[in-house]
Amino acid sequence: MSADSLSSSRSPRPVWLQQDFIGGLAVIGVAAFAFWQGADLPIGTLGGMGPGMLPRGLAVLLGLLGVLLIADAVIERGGPALDRWSLRGPLFVLGAVVAFGAAVRPLGLIIAGPLAIVISAFASEEVRWRETLVSGTLMTAFCIGLFKFALGLPIPLAPWLLGY
Amino acid sequence: MFDLIGNLALGFATALSPANLALCFLGCLVGTLIGVLPGVGPIATIAMLLPLTFKVDPTGALIMLAGIYYGAQYGGSTTAILVNIPGEATSVVTALDGHAMARKGQAGIALGIAAIASFFAGTVATLVIAGIGAPLTKLALLFGPAEYFGLMVLGLALAVVLASGSVLKAVIMVVFGLLLATVGQDLETGEERLTLGIAELSDGIDFAVLAMGVFGIAEILRNLENPEARAVVRGHIGRLLPSLADLRKAFGPIVRATGLGSVLGILPGNGAVLAPFASYTLEKKLAKDPSRFGQGAIEGVAGPEAANNAGAQTAFIPLLTLGIPPNAVMALMVGAMTIHGIIPGPLVMTKSPTLFWGMVASMWIGNLMLLIINLPLIGLWVRLLKVPYRLLFTIILLFCCIGIYSINNNPYDVYFTAFFGFVGYALIKLGLEPAPMLLGFVLGRLMEEKLRQALALSEGSFMTFLERPLSAILLLLALVIMVLAVLPAVRKGREEAFQE
Repeated sequence: MSADSLSSSRSPRPVWLQQDFIGGLAVIGVAAFAFWQGADLPIGTLGGMGPGMLPRGLAVLLGLLGVLLIADAVIERGGPALDRWSLRGPLFVLGAVVAFGAAVRPLGLIIAGPLAIVISAFASEEVRWRETLVSGTLMTAFCIGLFKFALGLPIPLAPWLLGY
Repeated sequence: MFDLIGNLALGFATALSPANLALCFLGCLVGTLIGVLPGVGPIATIAMLLPLTFKVDPTGALIMLAGIYYGAQYGGSTTAILVNIPGEATSVVTALDGHAMARKGQAGIALGIAAIASFFAGTVATLVIAGIGAPLTKLALLFGPAEYFGLMVLGLALAVVLASGSVLKAVIMVVFGLLLATVGQDLETGEERLTLGIAELSDGIDFAVLAMGVFGIAEILRNLENPEARAVVRGHIGRLLPSLADLRKAFGPIVRATGLGSVLGILPGNGAVLAPFASYTLEKKLAKDPSRFGQGAIEGVAGPEAANNAGAQTAFIPLLTLGIPPNAVMALMVGAMTIHGIIPGPLVMTKSPTLFWGMVASMWIGNLMLLIINLPLIGLWVRLLKVPYRLLFTIILLFCCIGIYSINNNPYDVYFTAFFGFVGYALIKLGLEPAPMLLGFVLGRLMEEKLRQALALSEGSFMTFLERPLSAILLLLALVIMVLAVLPAVRKGREEAFQE
């Protein structure tokens, strides 16, 4: 910790690139958003709290803590820099989840399953087409057998083909 | 004493019915199967498998869930030993010496002693639950809103101290969790709060969705960024049963760790997380030759595993007696119980004794089953772990999607999970730890309810928390803990402890 702060005080990195500085900004942003969203809720009194008391109170507290985090980053100047954010992983993984959610009701598990597997496979740089298609088909079949037939969950299978 | 025996007899009669035995077995098996997958800890496993229990009667469902929980725990240890990827924080310690043993060709013995230690700890912890469950329930009936509030504040203070990063960041995460918990209809007036006009949010954020996002999905994103440092142990697993000399070496650590874990697990605020670390440090201090630790010392596997399992199990105590979930796993249990119409708390034991004692008895049976089913299945788990991650994560993701969708049959839950997956990824990048946030979220609604009740009773005077001796003590303890955590001397010690 101390060695780290020594070396970085010799070659100071811009403070806005520090993890905690950006983190503090994000925290303040979330707090401000919550405060704005809760702004019309009545606060009430301590003896009879209204719905707005806690959301707004907590938002203010969170905002203050965010300010502290920024202050800490500015004063100490030794914290780690913000990590690189990758685009590929989050894009395809979260995209696959959203695609599953969008497809499962209208198209059923029979489409949503392979879709989720194929889209998410692209999150990894080592993606291989044939392998992905095979595992997508096999795993969907396995899941249909397990969740639909063995466990009887009411997840749609192929409403456009089978009607359920 | 006779009460205890009678209660346990009732419990075993319930848990040993063929249907419940089958559910316990199934739970342990699928729990282990999912828990073995790298990067999937007990929280994600339970969130994923929650729908499996929907069709079962409440007692059976809880027995099965408890089985899933122990299975996931044990699966995590297996992964930690064989591939050095701990599925969650508590198996980090097991990975140290467990994986070292595996590299020396003693993977089998490491797995065997882990199972034996877990079984011993589970047995003792079951007795602890049975023994102090009833008296604590009586105590709970004396708790008013102020005491409940005080206890939860203490829990959050502990969660802050136990988080590994800076205290400030942990406090931020707790408050963030509390804020997320206010989303949804107001308790008293039913007014929509912070729902952004989304109708699906008026019941609040589903805990399983939040947990799956920040632990399941975000973990996949994290693993994708650090490509394969996985080294599945090749070659022989070796024999599974430890020799008599090994057992003698491990016996002391197991007993000490069981005690440690049982006590820490009862604490509100996820004390169980600390148990394996505490046990490892203790055994290292007691050892004649501490340098063996990290090189494959059997004590370094046996102790933490016992502590882990004891803590995992006594964590049921605050839930079953006070209705306060001490950690994220127990919060999922609350979710499962609520689905079946059971409100966790002191009344469970008196109103549905078969459910309560059946579950306690099934804990022991579950531990026994793990011992029996896992030792022969280790070959299967090894083969599973050899599947490359580029295939595994897509399958894990599909399971996550199906599990989350099936909880409410609602596609919005799937979208929210994706959103919280992104939030979890951002938290990793910002160095903010999600565990305190989850606890804040878990306790948020109940805390708000109790706070409002207490203040309504006292007509808005905060003195009520200090005038009632029990709540004053609890709040004072919370204050002391927080002050200690920010004191420079303790802070240094804490950082060193987490370094190890």
